[in-house]
Amino acid sequence: MSNGNDQTPWRRRAADRVAHWVVSAGGLAIIVSILGILVFILIEVWPLLIPARVTVTRQLVLPGPAAGALVADEHRTHVAALGRDGRIRVVRLSDGRVVAIQDLLAAPERSELVDMQVPPESTTLAASTRDGRVVIAPVAFTVTFAGQSRVVTPEIATPVALELDLERQPLQSFAAQIDGDGNATAAAALADGTIAVVRRSMTENEMTGETTESTERASAQAPYRITHLVLDASQQNLYGGTEGGEILWWRLQEGQISEMQASSAGRSPITALNLLIGGRSLVVGQQDGALSVWMPVSHGGEADDEQSASARMTRIRDFPAQPGAVRLIAPSPRRKGFLALGDRQLGLYYSTSHRTLWTGTPPLAGASALVATPKDDGALVAGSGRLASLDIRNPHPEITLQTLFGKVWYEGYGRPDYVWQSTGGSDDFEPKLSLTPLLFGTLKGTFYSLFLAIPLGVFGAMYVSQFMHPVYKRTVKPLVEIMASLPSVVLGFLAGLWLAPRIEHAVPGLILAVFLLPLAVLLAGWGWSKLPRAFRGRFPLGTEALGFVVVLALGIWVCFALERPFEHLAFDSNFQHWLLQATGLAYDQRNAVVVGLAMGFAVIPIIFAIAEDAFTNVPSNLVAGSLALGADRWQTVTRVVLPTASPGIFSAVMVGFGRAVGETMIVLMATGNTPIMDWDPFNGFRTLSANIAVEIPEAPHGETLYRTLFLAALLLFVLTFVVNTVAELVRQRLRERFSQL
Amino acid sequence: MRREASLYGGDRGWSEFLGRSLTWLCGGALAFNILLVLAILSLLAWNGLGYFWQDDLVEFTMKDGTRVLGEIWQEEAIAITPEMPAVDRLRLKIGNRDITGLDFAWIDRANIASQRKPEDAVLIERLEWGNFHGYLRELHNGGLVLAQGSEAVWRKLLPLLARKAAERDRIRDLERGDIGDINYDIEKLRLAERRLDLAGLPATELARRKAELDQEIAAREAEYQRLADQLSQMRQALTAETLVAQTAAGETKEIPVGGIVSVIRPDSLGFFGKLGLQVKRIGQLIVDDPRESNTEGGIFPAIFGTVMMVFLMSFAVAPLGVLAAVYLREYAKQGLLVRLVRIAVNNLAGVPSIVFGVFGLGFFVYLIGGSIDRLFYPEALPTPTFGTGGILWAALTLALLTVPVVIVAAEEGLAAVPRIVREGSLALGATKFETIRKVVIPAAAPGILTGMILAMARAAGEVAPLMIVGMVKLAPTLPLDGRPPFLHLERKFMHLGFHIFDVGFQSPNVEATTPLVFATALLLITVVTVMNLLAISLRNHLRRKYAGSAV
Repeated sequence: MSNGNDQTPWRRRAADRVAHWVVSAGGLAIIVSILGILVFILIEVWPLLIPARVTVTRQLVLPGPAAGALVADEHRTHVAALGRDGRIRVVRLSDGRVVAIQDLLAAPERSELVDMQVPPESTTLAASTRDGRVVIAPVAFTVTFAGQSRVVTPEIATPVALELDLERQPLQSFAAQIDGDGNATAAAALADGTIAVVRRSMTENEMTGETTESTERASAQAPYRITHLVLDASQQNLYGGTEGGEILWWRLQEGQISEMQASSAGRSPITALNLLIGGRSLVVGQQDGALSVWMPVSHGGEADDEQSASARMTRIRDFPAQPGAVRLIAPSPRRKGFLALGDRQLGLYYSTSHRTLWTGTPPLAGASALVATPKDDGALVAGSGRLASLDIRNPHPEITLQTLFGKVWYEGYGRPDYVWQSTGGSDDFEPKLSLTPLLFGTLKGTFYSLFLAIPLGVFGAMYVSQFMHPVYKRTVKPLVEIMASLPSVVLGFLAGLWLAPRIEHAVPGLILAVFLLPLAVLLAGWGWSKLPRAFRGRFPLGTEALGFVVVLALGIWVCFALERPFEHLAFDSNFQHWLLQATGLAYDQRNAVVVGLAMGFAVIPIIFAIAEDAFTNVPSNLVAGSLALGADRWQTVTRVVLPTASPGIFSAVMVGFGRAVGETMIVLMATGNTPIMDWDPFNGFRTLSANIAVEIPEAPHGETLYRTLFLAALLLFVLTFVVNTVAELVRQRLRERFSQL
Repeated sequence: MRREASLYGGDRGWSEFLGRSLTWLCGGALAFNILLVLAILSLLAWNGLGYFWQDDLVEFTMKDGTRVLGEIWQEEAIAITPEMPAVDRLRLKIGNRDITGLDFAWIDRANIASQRKPEDAVLIERLEWGNFHGYLRELHNGGLVLAQGSEAVWRKLLPLLARKAAERDRIRDLERGDIGDINYDIEKLRLAERRLDLAGLPATELARRKAELDQEIAAREAEYQRLADQLSQMRQALTAETLVAQTAAGETKEIPVGGIVSVIRPDSLGFFGKLGLQVKRIGQLIVDDPRESNTEGGIFPAIFGTVMMVFLMSFAVAPLGVLAAVYLREYAKQGLLVRLVRIAVNNLAGVPSIVFGVFGLGFFVYLIGGSIDRLFYPEALPTPTFGTGGILWAALTLALLTVPVVIVAAEEGLAAVPRIVREGSLALGATKFETIRKVVIPAAAPGILTGMILAMARAAGEVAPLMIVGMVKLAPTLPLDGRPPFLHLERKFMHLGFHIFDVGFQSPNVEATTPLVFATALLLITVVTVMNLLAISLRNHLRRKYAGSAV
């Protein structure tokens, strides 16, 4: 080491070593963190795959006779339990103390209870009595704050008693509902084989504010031994299960009972019956352990209206049978999931995704009541004098490969289908998270844009590299590169607001242009070739292509001038009308053709640049050899240059594909973003990328939708990364081959 | 000819003809590409510049006696049914949205009785309700008539407008300056109070400090009240004078002079007058704030936000990209692994930008931002400070998006530095680091710069990821202002690209705002294209300089 520097050699060497480590560590860290993007997205998607966990957190002594119905508060601090003796006991879960006791019915009216239940989608305790009545008592928990600590006070409303059996016989099975205004309906199977329905309506006089109560009574024959009844929250649909395994369905409207509809669920007696949130799915548990979900499906198949007369209860899905009879079913108060407790198994299930999320042994033997807590984070089981509190961690039950990519039979649909509809208007909405329509839309957009971009890009590149003088090449190439740099938001804006409304009235002209423009170019070329050679020789090679620009511009003008007569001749003077009549396709203003043009424009320069590179890099000795052997220019290009450069062309198309797949703004702005699946060029679609842009700002952090959108991003990442890598490897191999030639 | 024909076993004449035809078609494909670029650029230029051009106001008297005053926007022949002859009709921009409810009207040519270009027709650009087309009648101050008649009002109005503009500026200064400062202080004091609550101090200490803060807040609020009174007085003074104008249809309308941006008589402007107006309007677009939820006025905050975001991004991306490139090219052992890393980094540039947006949201906003909030801004929770989209997160997300571009370009630049130069430096006794720092990197600087420019151009045009991590339709405050700490990295910002998307697709009156979007788009592509051309020429220069010298 010589000197000439004012620092000592030692210090300089140390600086060199430090720099070595800093640069290496820094460079590596940067590269690792760039690649960490993939890892982070994976981490965000991972929880979707984590199975549910159910743990018994506490076992308490529950005083009194066996509880038949439980209602818990939102924070899982208290539970109200209704016992066979007609008493409601409110138990504090932290220490098992009974903090309040109230009789369901006051002293003179008191009667022993026969059956108890919590009606679906309610926090109501309901029971049938030994003397033929049904009693309904809504339970509410109010939360107040004393300083920092939370005080939960249970409030049990005045019970409503409805007399179902005028002969005062015990009611074995019953169903009841009450709404916020006090309108209540109760139904019960009577000893004489009839179904009795009593409806209590409250009407408020708007002038005086007084409410008057009226009761209606209806009954229908039911020649079955009914084991369970359940009434939906709208008080309009009554479902029953029988000893012989039939599922019965009545509609209740204006005090009338409709004709009964019976469907068979097999021979085994029905031992448990409940409705999922929304009241459209009926969960049926049987003696032999069978567990199935039923929905009303309109018989026509298509109509989204289970209220239509042709709707029938249809067995939608079967869960794996439990080893013993299913005794209790508790629907989740937030989602389409439910708990089923049998003699020998407790299971956690999810209807939409058809998932058995967890199964285990029942926390206590002889269970008599089961309820899911309001936040869907736990459950309570009562039986044989004890109460078990369960903790449920079940963040993403909606997702399986089947729900993401397969057909799912959703509530209100006539058949299984691919649907993306992540949010709905109501709390009981069933999220439909199929990525298939989005993948389809992505491929559709890509297909239409590549349809335009591949020929224009590849052939344009071929011309520039093989038939054009370098003088032109130097100006043409930057022009195309500028094309690549146009922000996609500008292209999307032009496509959506300028092009789409114009194309709407110009489809016939467009069709005409597809045929006329090549013809015009051929004619112009022919005309050029007829010019005297001396004149042509004055211009560099490839000048005619510049002339074609003018020819094309004129051709386009001619096409649109001829459009009206053409439309008149070919399409009965109105293209959209003709389209609808001839093919049954409706015309959507922002459609695949518009996207194809705009996105094609974005992809052309990418394909062009890589293809041009591939053509130019073909060793000149090959070309010269071919020409020397007497082949003409075109023969050389098609039989020597094109085959040699074909891997490069392939790689260009792949990279173009990658760009089209991920493009967001153009599709967002130039399509209607409706997630539908058809190949119709005059219809819109929704792509994975646009879907992310539309939905992720509204998706709550950490919830299923958020993670599903991350999964969509992961799909895009992997897809484009793989495609680009393949393209890059092909290109590198090609380069190596060229260097050997 | 005969002999040649057997070469490929076919008829030479036919195959030659086919070859030539197909060659022409290839040429046609190229010509089509060129045509597309030219068409799009000229479409944008024409419509974008057209936004600033003032057309003549034409007054049409219809056959039924009604009058319409407007600019002709479009003429078309439309056939309502194929059997009937086409009807010629005109699309007019008639303004007066507050009176007619619409900005545009169609009239049939057949119904026009006469048309003229009145010299005294005015176009009044207002702060609210868009433009007014009509004639000047009177100028009032309260009950007092200051001027009457078109000409007299016109002469009085011009100096008055200049005065009102100054008044409006003073009001804005007061609102944004003093009142804004006070609001900012009060908000800070409130947060300080919350922080005290969370600090867990002894009760007496807490009460004492809170009382101090309350006192300060009270003082600020009194000051605020004083300024608010002053403001309302100024507002009153601003709207003292009113202009009475009449539409072509004959309706009169009182317009407060304080709410008028400008008054012009398009029909008395000559070509050069209009050209001057056009230039002036381009300037206004660039320096003015948006009005009427972005559909009118300028786009200054969007330009500012874009530029600042791109600069922040450059600060992040330049060192990262160069460091990674130096490592890959100079320090890493060249082998299969480095080759794979290089391919991976290269391909990252092809990963859809929306994926980076998703990553930015999950990583920067929720993970990092959320943690910063919990650690440093607990008093503001649950309102997020950094745990929501902001300019810093947007810049970092874009930095990730563009760092592959810089790495690739910088590597190319480093690779182009001839080995002789390095060896020369090493032979003279410089260490490797000294060689890189003083010889290689300066020589590779144009390459690095090219990469930076390309990255900045890409960042300026990118919208999709930013929609997720920090852009908003309308940001009330700029991310850079006079209040400490001056640079507010957590703030949301406006962006030209998003402005295009938002105004073009989410505004209620798309028809009327499309020209503005064209102007914005023109501005955006001008910036992006100029940057790209710069990068291209720099790269070509670099290639020429080192062509052949790389041994």
